Amino acid sequence: MSRYFERYEAETSRFFDEVISKEGTPRTHYDKMLHRFGQFSIDDIKARREIVNIFFRNQGITFTVYGEEEGVERLFPFDLIPRVLPANEWQTIERGLTQRITALNAFLHDIYHGQKILKDKVIPAELILGSQHFRREFVGVNPPLGIYIHVTGSDIIRDGEGNYLVLEDNLRTPSGVSYMLQNRQAMKRAFPVLFDKYKIRPIENYPQELLRTLQEIAPASRRDPNVVVLTPGIYNSAYFEHSFLARQMGVELTEGKDLVVNNNKVYTRTTRGLEQVDVVYRRVDDAYLDPLVFRPDSKLGVAGIVNAYRKGNVTLANAIGCGVADDKVIYSFVPEIIKYYLGEDPILENVPTWLASNPSDLKYILANLDSLVVKAANESGGYGMLIGPESTIEQQENFAEMIVANPRNYIAQPTISLSRHPSFFNDTELFGCHIDLRPYVLYGKTVTIVPGGLTRVALKRGSLVVNSSQGGGSKDTWVVDE
Amino acid sequence: MLSRVAESLFWMSRYFERAENTARFLDVNFNLLLDLNKITHIENPSYWVALILVTSDKERFNTLYDEYSARTVTDYLVFNKSNPNSITSCIGLARENARSIIESISSEMWEQVNNLYHYLQNVTPQFVQNDPYGFYKEIKNASHLFQGITDNTFSHNEGWDFIQIAKYLERTDNIARLIDVKYHMLLSEAQSQPELVAGSEDIIQWMAVLKSCSALEAFRKVYLSKIDPDNILRFLILDRTFPRSINFSVCAAEDALWRISGSSRHRYVNNADRLIGKLEAELSYTAIEDIFSKGLHLYLADLEQRLVKVGEQVHLTYFAYHTPEIESSDIEEALPFTGVAGGRANWSQAQQHQQQQ
Repeated sequence: MSRYFERYEAETSRFFDEVISKEGTPRTHYDKMLHRFGQFSIDDIKARREIVNIFFRNQGITFTVYGEEEGVERLFPFDLIPRVLPANEWQTIERGLTQRITALNAFLHDIYHGQKILKDKVIPAELILGSQHFRREFVGVNPPLGIYIHVTGSDIIRDGEGNYLVLEDNLRTPSGVSYMLQNRQAMKRAFPVLFDKYKIRPIENYPQELLRTLQEIAPASRRDPNVVVLTPGIYNSAYFEHSFLARQMGVELTEGKDLVVNNNKVYTRTTRGLEQVDVVYRRVDDAYLDPLVFRPDSKLGVAGIVNAYRKGNVTLANAIGCGVADDKVIYSFVPEIIKYYLGEDPILENVPTWLASNPSDLKYILANLDSLVVKAANESGGYGMLIGPESTIEQQENFAEMIVANPRNYIAQPTISLSRHPSFFNDTELFGCHIDLRPYVLYGKTVTIVPGGLTRVALKRGSLVVNSSQGGGSKDTWVVDE
Repeated sequence: MLSRVAESLFWMSRYFERAENTARFLDVNFNLLLDLNKITHIENPSYWVALILVTSDKERFNTLYDEYSARTVTDYLVFNKSNPNSITSCIGLARENARSIIESISSEMWEQVNNLYHYLQNVTPQFVQNDPYGFYKEIKNASHLFQGITDNTFSHNEGWDFIQIAKYLERTDNIARLIDVKYHMLLSEAQSQPELVAGSEDIIQWMAVLKSCSALEAFRKVYLSKIDPDNILRFLILDRTFPRSINFSVCAAEDALWRISGSSRHRYVNNADRLIGKLEAELSYTAIEDIFSKGLHLYLADLEQRLVKVGEQVHLTYFAYHTPEIESSDIEEALPFTGVAGGRANWSQAQQHQQQQ
């Protein structure tokens, strides 16, 4: 075993460790990796770290730190130790997510058509109709193939026993897939020998699968559909990803001002005139999409694009109004949603969730603020959160006030100690860092999930927050066949 | 090709070429002063003020510095971030444009812009002072490398043609300005030291102008060692085969414009083609005596004006393409010489920071 791992403290009595079992021995799917890392000296690791850094820097994989002077671009923190997922565990995740996304799509279709699930009182109607992401004006609109959520990324965690649980669904504009792809490229450069030793399922076909999905959802009348990516622009934190995906798919990357709508059709402005667009993979929020319909002050959107969409002349991916289904309150109903539409038991469990809008739950939440995680229903990126055990009395009192004032907007969950994975804290020392997993799900004629996903790592010692905006990093994720 | 992409290709190329030419201006001035230091004082401000005069930047310079010296002029033209034409600013803007179309250019092109940008972040005034020759050579070579990479990794279609137009328009403008430096030097010397205008110093200065265009050797092959102003100007303005002559550059810009539009001789389809065609035709039938009879400085000033007009027409024809639905205010926002810089950053930066899931 490696000198690195000899000094590694897994603390398996407190956490589920991905590499070291409760008995203190390495899990078998990590054997070859530990053996290989055992051959490395500190200098070997530093040299590989350098290869990876140069790769990321040359690719322009940096993110801009807002509010600082121009030129402050940081490398996205990357951990050299890959996560290994055995094929049988991956199979459960794959089946579970396919089931979940299929049910959520059926739910969206129902909400925007007959609303049977509300009439059958499986979900209280006021939770849906009162959601800020419910778009009344799209009731009755039929997206091609009846698909709303073409690209999603649900966050999966493991609890203390190692069970895979879904923490949240991102059904609007999930980001990070470019990091998944680039992490793999970087690892191939830095650790070619290790790739020889494992049968790692490839993920490189993601851009082709994405393009295929987008072409499948084009308006039925259009042959050889013209797909574009719509980005908020170069100052968006995920801009690198938008341009990366456009380049990988070989389609145009557009900003709002590149598109015009004429006679309810969408066109790109080119040096040769106007060219019609059939599918827009948009990475712009609903609110900024069309100044005529949503925020009138939006400079990022395309005036008239929503009407073009309603007329069926262009397909938006994802559809408008999907946010109603990834609201953290609706999340707590996903097991019921799966049963209601598919008649099946959920393959992947939810994290237990209390709703502040439910009076008995509210009482429990207020009494246990010091041990629960409280989340605002509509925030993402790790904002608007109270982590009970790490909070001060003052913060708890603050949250209590906000929760009582607006119970619909809050949920609470037990503080789950996410599983840990050894990571290089610096290049000389390994430390157990909390991780999650975000696989990317494509939904066109069929549901496709490339094996693995983005493993996010809370690289701050002891931190539970894995979001990149909060100091998180990532590592390569290998689904391996034995 | 998206109009925005074409415009960013254009400005990426133009700023890169501008950085190279500024490096050439400075490099030649240092060389010149080394050659001349027996005759005149190296800190003689008249040699430095000329560099500021040709960039039409005297006012801004004077608000920042109180003397013309090697130190202040180098700082202004290499490092100063409030000077949009400093080498650092130009490469920053070239990179910003490249970054906004990173999916359209080859990754090798991006790496080269990015490398130079990071190199410049680490260069100090002390470094340039210790080895000006090495530093300017680095900039020139980086630009040549970028052009070579572009030629060999980027499809030679419309986008490549926009890169060529930008490069050659910028180069033409810079050659004209460089020749004009010599004019300004002569002028300021005539006022201060009339006895020095003609003579060995004059020849050395003209040789420096040739060197800054990497033209001395090419010139000698044509004119042997007859280094007199008539021949030098004939070469730098009218030669049709040397890639840093005005005539060559105008022809190259014209070729690229015509490839894009499908124009041909006697048959233009837009105003950009018409103006560049007219300029090219005049250059082809101009003798050096015609230029002298008009006056060299006036001739060059007129040429620069006409290049600006060509640039404006390229903008209107290809980048500002609009339909009636688009308000004209959008078009005015994107005036030439701003590219992706400044204006655009302000209006949408805040909204672009929207939450990502």
